[in-house]
Amino acid sequence: MMKRLALLPALLFVVGACEPAVEGAVTMREADSPFIAFNVWVKAGSQNDPAGKEGLAALTASLLSDGSTTQDSYDDILAKLYPMAAGYGYQVDKEMTVFRGRVHQDNLDAYYELFRNSILSPAWSEEDFERVKSQTMNYLERTRRYGRDEELSKELLFSIAYEGTPYAHPEEGYVQSVASITLDDVQQFYADHYLANNVVVGIGGGYPKGFVQQARADFDALPTGEVIQPAAPQPNMPDGVKVLIVEKDVDATPISMGFPTQLKRGHEDFWPMVAMNSWFGEHRESFSHLYNVIRETRGMNYGDYSYIEAYPRGYTTQVPPTNVSRQSQLFEIWIRPISLTAPGNLHERTLFATRAAWRELKDIVDNGMTDETLGDTKQFLRNYALNWGQTISRRLGYAMDDEFYGMDPGYLREIRPGLDRLTLEQVNAAIQEHLQYDNMWVVFITADAQAMKRKLLSGVATPITYAGEKPAELLAEDELIASFPIQVDEEDITIIGIEEVFESN
Amino acid sequence: MRILAGTVFLLALAGTAVAQQADNVFPFDYQVVELENGFKAYLINAGAPGQIAYVSMVRTGSRDEVEEGKTGFAHFFEHMMFRGTEKYPNFDSVTASMGAARNAFTSNDMTVYYEVAPSEYLETLVDLESDRFMNLSYAEPDFRTEAGAVLGEYQQGARSPFRYLSEAVRTTAYDAHTYRHTTIGFEADVRAMPEGYDYSIGFHRRFYRPENVVLVLVGDFDFGEAERLIREYYTQWEPGYQTPDIPVEPRQTRARRRTVEYPGRTLPVLSINYKAPAWSPTDRNTVALQVLGRVAFGSTSDLYKELVVRERQVQYLNSSFGLARDPGLVSISTMVMNPREVRAVETRILGTVDEFKTDLVDEQVLADAKSNMKYGFLMGLETAQQVAFSMIGYVIRTGGIEAVEDYYRTLDAVTAEDVRAAAQQWLVDSGKTTVTMVQRRGR
Repeated sequence: MMKRLALLPALLFVVGACEPAVEGAVTMREADSPFIAFNVWVKAGSQNDPAGKEGLAALTASLLSDGSTTQDSYDDILAKLYPMAAGYGYQVDKEMTVFRGRVHQDNLDAYYELFRNSILSPAWSEEDFERVKSQTMNYLERTRRYGRDEELSKELLFSIAYEGTPYAHPEEGYVQSVASITLDDVQQFYADHYLANNVVVGIGGGYPKGFVQQARADFDALPTGEVIQPAAPQPNMPDGVKVLIVEKDVDATPISMGFPTQLKRGHEDFWPMVAMNSWFGEHRESFSHLYNVIRETRGMNYGDYSYIEAYPRGYTTQVPPTNVSRQSQLFEIWIRPISLTAPGNLHERTLFATRAAWRELKDIVDNGMTDETLGDTKQFLRNYALNWGQTISRRLGYAMDDEFYGMDPGYLREIRPGLDRLTLEQVNAAIQEHLQYDNMWVVFITADAQAMKRKLLSGVATPITYAGEKPAELLAEDELIASFPIQVDEEDITIIGIEEVFESN
Repeated sequence: MRILAGTVFLLALAGTAVAQQADNVFPFDYQVVELENGFKAYLINAGAPGQIAYVSMVRTGSRDEVEEGKTGFAHFFEHMMFRGTEKYPNFDSVTASMGAARNAFTSNDMTVYYEVAPSEYLETLVDLESDRFMNLSYAEPDFRTEAGAVLGEYQQGARSPFRYLSEAVRTTAYDAHTYRHTTIGFEADVRAMPEGYDYSIGFHRRFYRPENVVLVLVGDFDFGEAERLIREYYTQWEPGYQTPDIPVEPRQTRARRRTVEYPGRTLPVLSINYKAPAWSPTDRNTVALQVLGRVAFGSTSDLYKELVVRERQVQYLNSSFGLARDPGLVSISTMVMNPREVRAVETRILGTVDEFKTDLVDEQVLADAKSNMKYGFLMGLETAQQVAFSMIGYVIRTGGIEAVEDYYRTLDAVTAEDVRAAAQQWLVDSGKTTVTMVQRRGR
């Protein structure tokens, strides 16, 4: 039964090969792979949620992925998947819903039937609906507010930056909106968006010839219809500095800050900004400059990073998420929780770290990168990016995103030549075009929010101390950081309690 | 729409010391390099062309933190391993110039360091890794700075309800063994870490020795060249591992129970734990206990169908029957929807425990569980890094990877009677610890 695994191609060696194109399908055949990966993309996301029913796209996908079909009850599905050690799941972002699965080739036929049925022939069982809705409500009411403050601060940043647009609400919705969703709502959302002409079928790995045609024909059984997608949202560029402080009983404070950009994949400045961002704040990498300033040199927290594309749930992964493609993006700085180290010093330390990041942003905007930093970045990133497409599932995920952005050649194939071609002038011109430091959304989750507000408004220096000796030049720089100006007006600071977060729109 | 396809580039399998048998589960040939100082390296050609995963597995983790006030230190020391040597003062910048994915992690029984990099850097990696394992060197101010980063790491997960639960289960279930504390450590110990510089030097001297470290190198490389490099760079590493005096957990004689309050909002979480044997690749009773965890409490069990799917009394039902290097715990945990039904859910779980002590598991259910375990293993062998990581458990518990085949042969031999016997021996009241985590009053 067990087969010897074939050795798989690296990203480096992935090249196009001839295979008949199938309309409505993205394929990535690697004939000797023993694995087959699926990625079915429905062109609907949380931006398609009706007002008052925020969270509907996510709840719909959840019910399909974790519910019964007209062929099998949910527990029978689990029982059939179990001997294969296989499963499938969903992800809903602002504009995309994807269903992903992976199976060993020994079990392809039995697996595909279950995977396909989950999307094409849901049973719409009231019991399944109650189960997945209750799980979502538990997440909204408890886990999201209490489990991990740093992820909450990131979600709040996007929420305030996109206020008044279809991107504003979290994909999972609000407590009150999800509470109001009925099974009829879910069925209506499915009828409106799960259309043959609104679904792309992605298949990768060692599937047999003819398999894609069969799968696409299965999905063509969905009805067709007209889908009117919302226009790309116009996020709000803050006029100056706008601060949200969430009051919570904590002794460590996460910080998220950022502003909208016009940048997305396919833009001529995309690769220059990929290089800039890798140097400035590569995700969970000691290569990140912010990491070096705040964590490595000063030991203030666990890590400090920046983003030019949405990167939800970054604490769970070191490789970029796929299938969170968006027509609108923020530039974002993520400062992981800053700890209190002595009674009463949480706000000083929080503001010091905020100022340190802001000062570095000002420096790169004012002075740009150098030949040396750009050279180091190219050297680092041209190999490091190979880690982003290690599995067939991830390569397929990237290919779906290429389809979203109309990127050809795709991201993984273009990143090396894209980096190699960059000049310092291009990168610094792109920085000038897309980055600035005067206008900023800022989110803190901290204790005694009023005291934090007073400290921020006062403009007083917020120095820090160290457990060990530090060189004189570092202490001199600290003085500059501690008094780095953050210009904010009282009416631009909002305070809310943790129990109010994402309660309703 | 565009079509992408991969041109598969097969690696030739080089001459090997251990050729795989047709009925083996692990699908790759491998070679073992053993040095006189006790250092071992496993060489495996697998994964993508042009890449290697270089994974150094230290058989030391929070289990080895026997001194008072030093919980969390194995993990802290993992951070210090990135602070450089005299030869390579900046480890991070060297590995960054390779574009390597590099990181490390620590748990109860292990500390694991890895780099995934282009094959052309093999010699640099052998040099770099052997150097830091032998010659790590850092100044006290750097040590104190890193302690701040570790406190930050503690904080980012501090509000997780699962950390509260884990601490409560461990401190209730164990009296003496170091599994009593979590890998991140107690907060007071984490905050005291800046004062531990001298201790850290001794930690490296005692545990980072060739007898206690195993390299698993997976990817696209030449066996002969890799062996030559390993012999060249690791041979001068002096042995001297000092086995820690880990307290033996006294035999538990009666059931324990505790309620812990979580300072946030949560539904009640019920955790039922039993004292369990150390992991073994050859003992049928032990492997049968792992099977029991799946058939009795897994996602296809009758209990799961009732509590999670049909009656929806709980949000989830998880079982953890993984077993550790030393005798530890197996656990069943669940989040109860209605706080008034915690006792009723507990009664249902204990009823299942009793059923498996008397009834024989259905043969098809048993066969499905074995299939799940084998395919679960195979499905995790796609990349070089995954292949190397799939070996971690075997290396940490036994010192090598040879036990893989022993383990799956034992699994094949497990019978329904073995599963029942495991339930009768291990799921007993005298070894039980029940912890309930509830929302703090007033919230």
